[in-house]
Amino acid sequence: MAQERKAVIQAKNLYKIYSVGESKVRALNGVNLTIYKGEFCSIVGTSGSGKSTMLNMLAGLEKPTKGEVIIGGEHLEKMNENQLVRFRREHVGFIFQSFNLLGTLDARENVALPLTFRGMPKKERLAKADAMLNLVGLPKHKDHRPNEMSGGQQQRVGVARALVVDPEIIFADEPTGNLDSNTSAEVMGLMKKIVREQNQTLVMVTHDNHLAGFADRIFHIIDGKIVKIEDNTGKRGDEDL
Amino acid sequence: MKFRDLLGMSISSLWRRKLRTILTILGVVIGTASIVVMISLGLGLDKAQMAQIEQYGGLTTINVRGNEGGSSGYYMGGGVSVAVEDVGSSDSSEPTRLDDAAIEVLSQIENVESVAPMLQTYVIGRQGIYEGQFNLIGTTVEALENMHLELTEGSSLPTSETELKILYGNTVVSDNFYNSRNNEYYWENGNMPDVDLVNDPLFLIFDSDAYWNSKWGGTDENGNPYKAPKKYVVESCGVMAGGPEDYSSSSYNAYCNVEALKVQLKKIFKGRVIPGQPQTKAGKPYKEIYYNQAEVKVTDMKYMEEVQEIIRGMGYYADSNIEWITQMRESSRSVQAALGGIGAVSLFVAAIGIANTMMMSIYERTKEIGVIKVLGCELPNIRNMFLAEAAFIGLIGGAIGLVLSYIISAVINMVTKGMMYETGVSYIPVWLTLTALLFAMIVGMVSGLFPALRAMRLSPLAAIRNE
Ligand SMILES: Nc1ncnc2c1ncn2[C@@H]1O[C@H](COP(=O)(O)OP(=O)(O)OP(=O)(O)O)[C@@H](O)[C@H]1O
Ligand SMILES: [Mg+2]
Repeated sequence: MAQERKAVIQAKNLYKIYSVGESKVRALNGVNLTIYKGEFCSIVGTSGSGKSTMLNMLAGLEKPTKGEVIIGGEHLEKMNENQLVRFRREHVGFIFQSFNLLGTLDARENVALPLTFRGMPKKERLAKADAMLNLVGLPKHKDHRPNEMSGGQQQRVGVARALVVDPEIIFADEPTGNLDSNTSAEVMGLMKKIVREQNQTLVMVTHDNHLAGFADRIFHIIDGKIVKIEDNTGKRGDEDL
Repeated sequence: MKFRDLLGMSISSLWRRKLRTILTILGVVIGTASIVVMISLGLGLDKAQMAQIEQYGGLTTINVRGNEGGSSGYYMGGGVSVAVEDVGSSDSSEPTRLDDAAIEVLSQIENVESVAPMLQTYVIGRQGIYEGQFNLIGTTVEALENMHLELTEGSSLPTSETELKILYGNTVVSDNFYNSRNNEYYWENGNMPDVDLVNDPLFLIFDSDAYWNSKWGGTDENGNPYKAPKKYVVESCGVMAGGPEDYSSSSYNAYCNVEALKVQLKKIFKGRVIPGQPQTKAGKPYKEIYYNQAEVKVTDMKYMEEVQEIIRGMGYYADSNIEWITQMRESSRSVQAALGGIGAVSLFVAAIGIANTMMMSIYERTKEIGVIKVLGCELPNIRNMFLAEAAFIGLIGGAIGLVLSYIISAVINMVTKGMMYETGVSYIPVWLTLTALLFAMIVGMVSGLFPALRAMRLSPLAAIRNE
């Protein structure tokens, strides 16, 4: 079964070294990984272990000190910032821990924002945003501004915004970090459901082992190194699909 | 990203910070208004000067005079000969004189529109107890037409080349005539001399030397008393329009046809030297009557200096308003620069205000900028968004500043009305309006450029990091 799957993300011998004053911090210390199409992966580890650094590197938000990041056959480490922006716009969706919705825009406009950057006409993008908000279960909150919504609702808008461009890959850095456990489970379920339906790849960072358990595969990271890869696909079967 | 969406985002982020936007715009309003008002004052000055110059005989006329070798051949009638100091050219070489042939040569020079010969003589006019000495200028009808004189009803130009008819300026009487009983002029006592130039006959005396000599009872070299010169009744063909105090460059002169004047002078002075005309070494008159000066009209102001140089090269004296104008414009330009500089300082302060506002806005929106970067907003779009914001501040500030300038300008003109210039002290031409608007916008963009570039270079990581 593994042979049939197509690799979308590959990291080879990835290093990220920060120099703080005299000392050097090895945030990533030689990471190799492959993530396949349609997979839901989570990255877990203690605080400061290098999870966010790794995700940023995979999403092309930061340049690695050494090593390669290959997404869909393209080398991110060789791109300049303009190319990276374009690459993200075409292939990647992002979900933030602190939602990061624009306070002046209502839910619908927030979701339509990435489409604006793609130059989509207003009518079309608002229609698409509408459909996306229905999908994440917020049909009644389209005209609400972020400060008129609960954290869970805001993160649903965040999910809708990430998914509205039909990205091949979605990165999420602690998407439920600011939510209580019930709401977290709801949002996780929602993310997983939509991603499955569209056969999209989701990479999520969390330090919560329970939430990590939603994933197909779990990468355990300690001090910038992957120490264990847990495979859930076999264990859980398709019971929650 | 569509340009419309980009503008929309810029405007909405300006709208979000209304108070700060308004304050920044206010700075630009004041800056623009002060620069425009200051420049308008300079331009008003310029315009008033031009109007003044126009009044003093235009910008395209060169006065040409003959050269009697070493001194200017500007002869004045009535025995008064004023020798102008040598201007530095051709000393005591062949004298250059203005005759019909010379006029023809002058009119052949490139960019010369027309040449008007001027034969000038001082005459004494008498009517009743009033007497006055004035300048009688003979010239062509064409030249008189070019002067665009306003005539009273029933007046006409002296067209006849044989019969002498005189066109009087409207201040000839008030300026030159006096009561022969008490020797008082109008400008001394305010009593208008009772002289009617049109309906009553006016006696003219052309040989004013003889007139004065006989009047004071002198004798000539042979001991004989001077004979009083003959008086002639000369008909008038008209009077210029205007009151006794409406002065202009032509109002105090009398004009006639040059050919008719030549005929008349030859008749009067038969064989004698006409006052003001050159004479041979033996003291005899020349056969021809030479003109005192010629007015050369140039097709355009830009050829003035060139034509003037050519004429000087021919040995004539040539002068015009152009040198004076050039000097005057230079000084008015430096006044303008100084005034504009004062305005520029306030606009500069406004520009710093814009830069500061944009910088603040970027610090506040660091996270937002990061988010839109992560969401795929291209870098040039981010830069343009901020540039558009700054340009908007400049444009709106400039527009309101212009409205304010028009109001201030109108108020200044109203307050100073009639005090200095007829044309108004402050003048805002269309080009200034458009330039000011464009300039305000550019100032906005330039001051927004550095903040915009900074926004563009912000790291997208700022968005993900949790503070
Ligand atoms: N810009 C930076 N400069 C210097 N050191 C950094 C920088 N960013 C991260 N680090 C260091 O790299 C290491 C990994 O950081 P990272 O943010 O990846 O941790 P994390 O696993 O996401 O932790 P958390 O669960 O708390 O978010 C940490 O030791 C951190 O101090
Ligand atoms: Mg982290």
